[in-house]
Amino acid sequence: MGIVEKRRASDSGVHRRTFRGLALMVICAVLGRAAARAQTPDEMQKEIQTMKQQIEELQEKTRKQAELIEKLAPPAKPASGSSSQEGAGAQESGQAAGAKDAAAESEGQPADESAEGAENPELTAEEQRIVDEVIRQIQPSLSAANRTFPSQFNPAIGLFIDMAFSWEENGGSDFDFRSAELGLSASVDPFARGYAILNGTEDGFEVEEAAVVTTSLPYSLTVKGGRFFADFGRLSKFHDHDLPVVNRPHVLDTFVGGEGQADGAEVSWLAPIEQYLSLTAGAYDKIGADNDRVDGNVPRDLGRFTFLVRPATYFAVTDASGIDLGASYAATPRVDSPTVDGAGTISDEEARHLVGVDVTYRYTPLGEAQYRGLVIGTELLFNSEERDVGDPGAPDFRRRNAWGLYSYVELKATRRYNPGFLFDWSQDLSRDEGDTTAYSPYLTVWLSEFQRLRLQYTYLDQPGNHESQVFFQWTAILGSHVHGFRDR
Amino acid sequence: MTRNLLGRSFLLAMLALGSRVQGEEKIHVVATIPDLAEFAQRIGGDLVDVKGLATGVEDIHSVPMKPNFAVLLNRADLVVLLGLEVEHAFLPGLLEASRNPKIQRGMPAYIDCSKHVRVLEVPTRIDRALGEQHPMGNPHYNLDPLAMKEAARALAEGFGENYPQHKSVFQSNLKTLLADLDKNIARWKREAAALKGKKLVSYHPDLVYLAARFGMQIVGTIEIRAGVDATPSHVEQLIELMQREKVDVVVRELHYPAGLAETVAQRTGAALVGLPVMVGGVPGAPARGGVPEIIRSEGGATTEAKAGGPPTCSYVGLIDYDLHALVKAVGEPRKS
Repeated sequence: MGIVEKRRASDSGVHRRTFRGLALMVICAVLGRAAARAQTPDEMQKEIQTMKQQIEELQEKTRKQAELIEKLAPPAKPASGSSSQEGAGAQESGQAAGAKDAAAESEGQPADESAEGAENPELTAEEQRIVDEVIRQIQPSLSAANRTFPSQFNPAIGLFIDMAFSWEENGGSDFDFRSAELGLSASVDPFARGYAILNGTEDGFEVEEAAVVTTSLPYSLTVKGGRFFADFGRLSKFHDHDLPVVNRPHVLDTFVGGEGQADGAEVSWLAPIEQYLSLTAGAYDKIGADNDRVDGNVPRDLGRFTFLVRPATYFAVTDASGIDLGASYAATPRVDSPTVDGAGTISDEEARHLVGVDVTYRYTPLGEAQYRGLVIGTELLFNSEERDVGDPGAPDFRRRNAWGLYSYVELKATRRYNPGFLFDWSQDLSRDEGDTTAYSPYLTVWLSEFQRLRLQYTYLDQPGNHESQVFFQWTAILGSHVHGFRDR
Repeated sequence: MTRNLLGRSFLLAMLALGSRVQGEEKIHVVATIPDLAEFAQRIGGDLVDVKGLATGVEDIHSVPMKPNFAVLLNRADLVVLLGLEVEHAFLPGLLEASRNPKIQRGMPAYIDCSKHVRVLEVPTRIDRALGEQHPMGNPHYNLDPLAMKEAARALAEGFGENYPQHKSVFQSNLKTLLADLDKNIARWKREAAALKGKKLVSYHPDLVYLAARFGMQIVGTIEIRAGVDATPSHVEQLIELMQREKVDVVVRELHYPAGLAETVAQRTGAALVGLPVMVGGVPGAPARGGVPEIIRSEGGATTEAKAGGPPTCSYVGLIDYDLHALVKAVGEPRKS
């Protein structure tokens, strides 16, 4: 029986049931009223006759409507003779039937087509049951589709909530609401996509990233523009809540200026060779959210912009392990250097060079990727710029070179528990004071893919401050999330 | 002088690259899992060069995002995927890194094989409280041979849409593949008759389609929710449920750890069986003659036609392995 026929028959069945129900209701109502008013038998009989007449009129009207529907419906398909009614879980055994059933099932699977060809315009109870079953099965899909359809063009939205409790030997304790980051992303048009990270912290609200990225340029090129994390090094491109440790390594805070936030444009290219090799070139106001060497909000000559180049490659050691290797060079031809008293900056018209080399080794046993793994990451940085080494009020700029590095190792011991250790060392950029060193063992506990706890101990050894610190971080993701290639 | 030498070397390298690219005539296909790599190879025949990303032993939800996969995708003419968002942990990121506009989502070269599949377990409520949901429904249909026939059709359609000049070849190869599958489906139905009505618990909802196809009933999962590891209270509740329902088999998909599955099986008396869920999931899984062998290659798995070779991995071999293991398990007497 064709779908149209079934629907038609189903409609008439529904009508019949409706009228029976109506009749019952009318009779009940009549009897109820009769009882209430204590009518005489004649009055009751008369009223029942009236109701019967009304029901007959209604039935006649419905019959005419059914005939009209039948006339308007397309002609029925010829009978196919097939009687297979297998659904997703149905099966039959038997050598002869097997191949035939398989062939029948393979023709699109739907069970409703397999009942085609019945002559009877009225559904039998079994047919009605099948129709009801099919409708029942597809209804959730239809309902789900209807619910999501009106919002199809809205960007994907995700919210990251990041908080921590900290205790510092020399500084006391604090509940630190680190951030609530709202992430939005969607295609702009066939040629670009866009995303934004809007960040609310204890210090206020800011646009942390908002960028447009091309998606259809030829020659394996991608162009990104707006505010985003520049492609410098590795962990400086991570948002705070995505870091493998609670706090960004001191060396990145000191050398890069925290997150590698930059206003500018980047071009990235994937070399058309067997070996993975990507090359990024960028121009920015500056790199580093806390970098105040250049005021990015005023027009200036090109010498006061920062320019970046970064090649990155990958070597597969085995099926389960590989090494990412990258080098970054950021140059600012002329910078404003901070004065020794920290009161302001002075234009000394000299260049700043920031160089980084990052190596990441990953071991991910393919069959146990959710339960076992090892990541070892190291980043070495070198900074060269003129620093004010004079007395307050008598600036004396001298070129100073400084080095720093961090190394961390993280073990995926189980699906939930990932212990790790971070070593962090950096020289003072002016080389006036001693080095800063930190040792941080930590344990990350993944309650699920979307919720994470982290306990970290840090021993900080820096000029004028030698202390133990303890952090307890709680991070959660709501809504949409993506597994980005850069954040892997 | 040095600059000239460098310049010439670069020019020669570029020319060599250009000639290499021009010399290649095959259609470059990247498939996310070996099951689809095999189908792509069989439908594309000599016209295609197929590379796979997963090797088959992985949990498809956590295939590593290796940079050399981005290189494969950068050169791909077509990408073939299971769909229903099952590859979301690695494919979107890799597609972005590939910088290949023609295989991005929504393009004709992005061949989603779930197009014609009747999807099971489509959620009526989307909520992370219910686990790592797949909003479009359970995506593990590759263990259902009938659903994979639909995948093969979608694959051949996709190939034909992109290369209409070869459409007849693709359709002819599809016909052969479907006939081969039909023959095996008939055999599987006979061989798996003992599974009808049997109850199972799996680690993750990987076996929903296989169970439905061969008449098994899934009672629960060891994971508390899809993608969320078990808690002690959930395990206790599951054991109680399994004892009440007299569950016959505990299935540990091979990429999940053995310990908890063993505990659950021991405490309930159910048989424990470890099953691969993708082609290549068990190296050396026996295959029928005439089916391509999956071999490893740099950058992932690829297929090579080696009819009648030694015991190997193939889609038919995968289903053979899983069904035979299940039949053997349900035939074992309960331990309590």
